[in-house]
Amino acid sequence: MGYEELFPPYDMEWHAHSTRRFANPFVDNKYDRVDVDPVMLSHAAVACGYTIRDFYEKPELGIHCLAHIYQLYDLLPVTHWFYASPWLADLGCKMVYKDTLPPIPESEILHEPGDVDALHVPSPEELYDGWTYSQYKRLYAYVQKNIPQTFVPISYGFDPVGEAAALCGVENFIMWTFVEQDAAHKLLEKFTQTAINGALCTAKDFGSAMLVVASVLANNDIFSDEAIREYSVKYMREYIDKSFRGGAGPQIFYHCCGNHETSYKEFQNLIWSPFTVLHIGYKGPEAFPSDLLVQEYGNKATCMGSVDTKLLINPNPKVVYDASAKQIIAGRDAPRGYILGTACECPPYSLPGNILAMTRAAKDYGTYGKW
Amino acid sequence: MDVKFSDSVKELIGERGLKIDDVIDIINTAESSNRKLNDGSKNLAKKRIGEVTIYAVYDDNGNVETAYSHRMVLGEIQKTTDEPDPTNWVCVSCNEKAVIGTVLMTYMGVTRSGPAVVCEKCGDAWIEEYLATKTIAAAEGLFEKKKA
Repeated sequence: MGYEELFPPYDMEWHAHSTRRFANPFVDNKYDRVDVDPVMLSHAAVACGYTIRDFYEKPELGIHCLAHIYQLYDLLPVTHWFYASPWLADLGCKMVYKDTLPPIPESEILHEPGDVDALHVPSPEELYDGWTYSQYKRLYAYVQKNIPQTFVPISYGFDPVGEAAALCGVENFIMWTFVEQDAAHKLLEKFTQTAINGALCTAKDFGSAMLVVASVLANNDIFSDEAIREYSVKYMREYIDKSFRGGAGPQIFYHCCGNHETSYKEFQNLIWSPFTVLHIGYKGPEAFPSDLLVQEYGNKATCMGSVDTKLLINPNPKVVYDASAKQIIAGRDAPRGYILGTACECPPYSLPGNILAMTRAAKDYGTYGKW
Repeated sequence: MDVKFSDSVKELIGERGLKIDDVIDIINTAESSNRKLNDGSKNLAKKRIGEVTIYAVYDDNGNVETAYSHRMVLGEIQKTTDEPDPTNWVCVSCNEKAVIGTVLMTYMGVTRSGPAVVCEKCGDAWIEEYLATKTIAAAEGLFEKKKA
């Protein structure tokens, strides 16, 4: 039995409505309301009675759960599946599955700065049949066969600083940025090139590839603005530039979760395409204010505002509703559109009433023509 | 300038739905106005003809290397990066090094931002072949799909 037999038919009427709404921020439509994207991953599997581990270990099941649950909460018409450590297995890490986490490397594989020299960057040909891309080939074939209307080819560079740190250990990496800067840059260069080669695989197979790249570990709780520019933004930029040169894009999702209290200004140095969404998680301990997000980036990208993810596991939907309303009111006039998100992935055990509170706020405060 | 095309370039131009006469016109216009980029060995010229902007890459002897187009209309440069990436191109009209920048792009009534080679002195912008034929072409397709 295939995973598709576990799910009822996909609601095409809802899909048509959701697709039209999803186009709003990208082509200046004013249909229905502001969209809500709670950055959902394994919550979808949990909501269908499976486990966090199932979501990551069985990508086809995971993405079908997502397509199904998006209908429940009236979210997006497109699907995505990923874990936070793409390409690490292809660089030599042994990935282990956990019951409550995405797959993670069993241990770091680089111990001294000199070890970086020996790290082999897999070519696109090597990656094509490697650990990471093989999962995507299988997954995308499944989606195209069973829920093709939800399909978007996506490639994940994800968090270059975070991935580099996973290869050598977070403490090591942070120390290297102070005392072994050449090694830190070389490692970032090698991870970034690997991710670019991965994007080229997707572009080759599908003719385009939405690019997801992040600045997560590189945030103001750990790094200065200058360090975020030097170690994070520089490589996010390189990832986009070189992936575009190989035919990837045109969509970009910049995911900048963590605290970007002052470093948010550094993202001005990114590359912008006609289909770019910029998402910033926090400013200090608070969800990043949407009015500031729109003021800084509203004329360059679609802005994705944030509701603090911590709120989604507290039994108080009204607090989520109020936080959502505040962000929507502050962001809904963004010249290139606004999406209400959560500051990072919605927790796997998010309370359904809280996600419903986000879409309810979008209806009440984000319906076009009502403000 | 005596503009020359190899058979393979003629075939490529045909496959891309462009006309040889338009490419010749673009090169002659660029040569007479000096509105072009040069990287020391080849030139990049462009002209808006009808609903498309057509580009020609050619050497100083008039040998055309490639031609391509996009439908988006390029607008003003947007100030983004503090340290723009350099390119090998020089804006011949301004004698200024061109950089990778961001420009406004308009298609089907929608204006968004996109990457381009720009001359920060005169404000002109060019799209290189890899972007025009892949990323920008895909973006135009998405606009058409989402506007439908």
